[in-house]
Parts: sequence; C-alpha cells; structure tokens
Amino acid sequence: MEKKKQGSDKPGRERPEKIDFEKALKELEEIAVLLEDGELSLDDSLKKFERGIALARYCRQRLEDAERKIEILQRGENGTVSSRQVSVDAETGEIENDEDLQGSLL
Amino acid sequence: MSEIANDASVYSVSEITRLIKKTIEGRSDFSGVWVRGEIYNFTTHASGHIYFTLKDDNAVISAVFFRSANRGLSFKPRDGMTVLVQGSITVYEKRGSYQLNVTAMQEEGIGELQRRIERLKQKLSAEGIFDPARKRPLPFLPRRIGIATSPTGAAVRDIIKVALRRYPGIGIVIAPAIVQGDGAVESIVAAIRELNQPKYGIDVIIAGRGGGSFEDLMPFSEEPVVRAFATSRVPIVSAVGHQIDHPLCDDAADMAAPTPSAAAEIVVPLKDELVMEIDYYADRLARSAGSLVEALRTRIDAAVGRRVFREPREITRRKGTELTHLESRVTAGLSARIAHARARLLNIPDMRILARTVIDRKKHAFALAIGAIEKLSPLAVIQRGYAIPSDDRGRVIRSVNDTAIGNAIDLLIRDGTLNCAVNAIIQGGIGGFDGKEKAGE
Repeated sequence: MEKKKQGSDKPGRERPEKIDFEKALKELEEIAVLLEDGELSLDDSLKKFERGIALARYCRQRLEDAERKIEILQRGENGTVSSRQVSVDAETGEIENDEDLQGSLL
Repeated sequence: MSEIANDASVYSVSEITRLIKKTIEGRSDFSGVWVRGEIYNFTTHASGHIYFTLKDDNAVISAVFFRSANRGLSFKPRDGMTVLVQGSITVYEKRGSYQLNVTAMQEEGIGELQRRIERLKQKLSAEGIFDPARKRPLPFLPRRIGIATSPTGAAVRDIIKVALRRYPGIGIVIAPAIVQGDGAVESIVAAIRELNQPKYGIDVIIAGRGGGSFEDLMPFSEEPVVRAFATSRVPIVSAVGHQIDHPLCDDAADMAAPTPSAAAEIVVPLKDELVMEIDYYADRLARSAGSLVEALRTRIDAAVGRRVFREPREITRRKGTELTHLESRVTAGLSARIAHARARLLNIPDMRILARTVIDRKKHAFALAIGAIEKLSPLAVIQRGYAIPSDDRGRVIRSVNDTAIGNAIDLLIRDGTLNCAVNAIIQGGIGGFDGKEKAGE
C-alpha cells in the first residue's frame, strides 16, 4: 500500500494511513451504506469500493499493530527518569518478579 | 489477699484500689465524657474488642472499645488519627489502671478537612477549572495508556488486568506514585507530569488509587493534585476509591471513573468488538460488490461486445435447452433407427452403444461450455488475474483511444489497484474468442 500514489491529491481520498482509526471506521461504514444505496455511478462505486477495502484492511492492521509492552518509570540516581519493561500476569494484573519496584517517581 | 495489720489507717491494695475505683467511677462528670486525642497502639483483638491509647502532647490514657459498642463504627481508626471519643473512666483493679471505656468515636479531622475541601472547590470553581467545556473526549483507540498510581496496590493490578483482557497487547506505562500519607501529593503530581511528556507517546492517563479512608483519599482533593489533573495535556481519567468517593480531582479530570477497574473499561476498547464491526462493514461491502460486478458486466459487454458477458445464465439455459433438443433429437433419431433397424432386422444393442457415445460426447462439450461461461463472469475474470483499467479521473478505459502514451492509468485487480504509466499503444481487437460462440447466440 505504501507504493500506491493514486488518489492522494484528491479531497476525501487521503490515504488511510494518515487518518485515525475512528475516522477510518466511520468512513468504512459510510461507504458500506453508500454502496448499498446503489445511487453512485459505476466509476464512483468502484472508487468507493476500492477505498472501502483499503479502509477495512487499514483498520484490521491497526488493531494488530499493538505494542505488547508494559513499562514502568523509575528515577535513576542522577535524577533522570527512565522506563523499564516489566512482565505482568495477564490474569491477575500482577507485575511479575520485580524486586526493585520503586514506590514513587520522586 | 491477706490481712496486713490491725491498724485501721492501713489499707490493703484491694481496699485502696476499691476506694479509687469508687471515687473515680462515682464522679458523674467522668461518665459520658468526651475526650479528644490521637490514637496509637491501636489493636483489634480476635474477640472484636479494640484496645488503644489516646495521647496528646503531655499525657496518655488507655482506652477500650468493646465489640458491642464498636460494631457501628463507620470508619477504620488507625494510629496517628485524631479522634473524638465518648465514654466513661473505669478502674481496672487487677492491673491497677484506669482507662476510658469508649462508647462512641468520631473522626475529629473529617469536619475540618471537609470544610477545607469545600473552600478549595469554590476557589477552583471560580477559576473555571471544573468547567465542563474544558473536558476533552477520550481517544477512541489508544495505543498507550499511562497509569499514575501505586505500583504495588490493587488499583494498578485491576487496571492492567482489565486493560489486557479488553485489548491484549495494549501499551501501558506505569508512573509509580505514593498515593496516601506523607509525600503523596507531590508524588502524584510528579507522576502525572511525567506521563504528560511527549516522549512517552501516551494517549490517555488513568490516575488514582483503590478504596481507603477519607484521609487516605485526601491527597486527591489537594490543590496541587487537582491542578495537575486540570492541566494535564494528555486526556486524563480519575479513578479514586469506590463509587461513593468523590475527591476533587474527579471534577478536574476529563472523566471520572467510579473505580480503577471501571477506568480501564472506559479507556480501553474491546478489541473483539472492533474486529466484529470491521468484519460487518467488510461483509456489507462484499455484498455490494455483487451489484458492482453486475454493472461491470455491462461495461465489459460494451467493451467486448459479447453476449456471453452479459447473460451467462441465459446462455447456460440455452445450452441446456440445446442439449435437451439434442438429446430428444438423438432419442428421436434413435427411435427412428430402432424402427428402421427393426424393419431391417439390424442389431439393436450396437445402435444403443452408438447413441450413448453421441450423447456422452455432447454432454462433455456442454460441461466445457459451462466452465467457459463461469470463467467469463467478471468477478471470476478479475479473480483469474484480469484487470480493469481506469484513467486518472476514475473512468474505465474501454478503448486504446481513451488514453495516450505517457498517461497514468489505474489497474483494478483482485486485491488492489496498480498505478501504471502507458508506455505504448498497440492497436488491434480481441480475436481469441471469435468463432467459438456461435452455439450461444
């Protein structure tokens, strides 16, 4: 999809990568409704269809595009704050084997 | 207890103790008296009786709060808390001590604290800090959430648990904070400020703690904390205590959650639900594609000029009819031949084999024709690797004359669109199908 150039200059056809998930989902819904109404010309329908497919793909990708990272902030001896990755038990939410868990950033 | 002397001026320990007891407990002003003091050495026994000491700067007094009396207590007394107790002074002979037998206890600090919160609320309200117009919507699908709370409390566990259940893999940054007692205010403010730094890329913050006493929750009603909530650049949700608790930060936050778990529910969307929603729209798109294909078929028909594109079903039907005709003709022919054979005393089984062969051959041709028709359906055509070209204004290109060398064209294929440049134009029609479709016409 990165290689795709068409449409980027047209209003309402910004590339899905640049819009946020909520807008993409909303537009996808609008396109589904629009196509079902069947009042667009064939060319417009094709364009919308193509756009809808791209949006659905983008939305799915965005959902899979998760960080899977849990970090805890801590203040070092020189006073700067850094983040450290920790593992948690997803069932209990417990932060696992973390001996040097600091109680406060201060 | 032994008699010590005959001298009437000498008391036994019991006697003198009894006298003390009588004197003290006999004073009406020692009964139902109110005493203010700070609790220490607070212990609750298995029996349910509470023992503690009340003190002020210069004195201490032991106190006992029996189970029958302390059952209705609405808060959890602890060391360091200043309380107002009502009770009677009693003497415990066996230990030679006096104590306060408590019948009621109030949290002394509460009234003053509440008045202070009320004053702060009015002041901040006048500044517009609680203005509903200041509240921002929370992000629809946060990538990373920040949590400002104690890293060892129940709140952080509840938030993590709920967040991961709703959206496995969501990014979480925990800023540890002291949430009660000394240093809590500064610590909470520091945690919220830190999470606001753009370098962490946090989309929404949950700040709070689990349930506790009024005093425990007090830091979340202190001015610096309330201001930190109000000025958070990142949208912030307060998640303090239980449903009944309403610290001032609730009014300053973009949203107030009744509990830490509820905050996670509010902030983190259900991934499964989002997936279902996308699938639902994608299905509707796919269904609309059917009518699109119908329309495309007309296009292709116009471009190629072949009826088979337009009416594959009809052609299938015609082929069917044709076969029926063929079969009846064969059957009719067979009958005639049989009649003829019978007349000419020819070998009937041989004739049947011949007829079967003819029918089988025709059936095979028919199956091939059906296959061809299926392949010619526009959807199948695109699936097979054909493309539909359109120009830069999205119009379908039906003729080489519709474009020019150097023009950009889009090719719609099965799974996307290719943007191409026209390098050359070769004139000439489609000849591949000519002469094979007569049977369908």
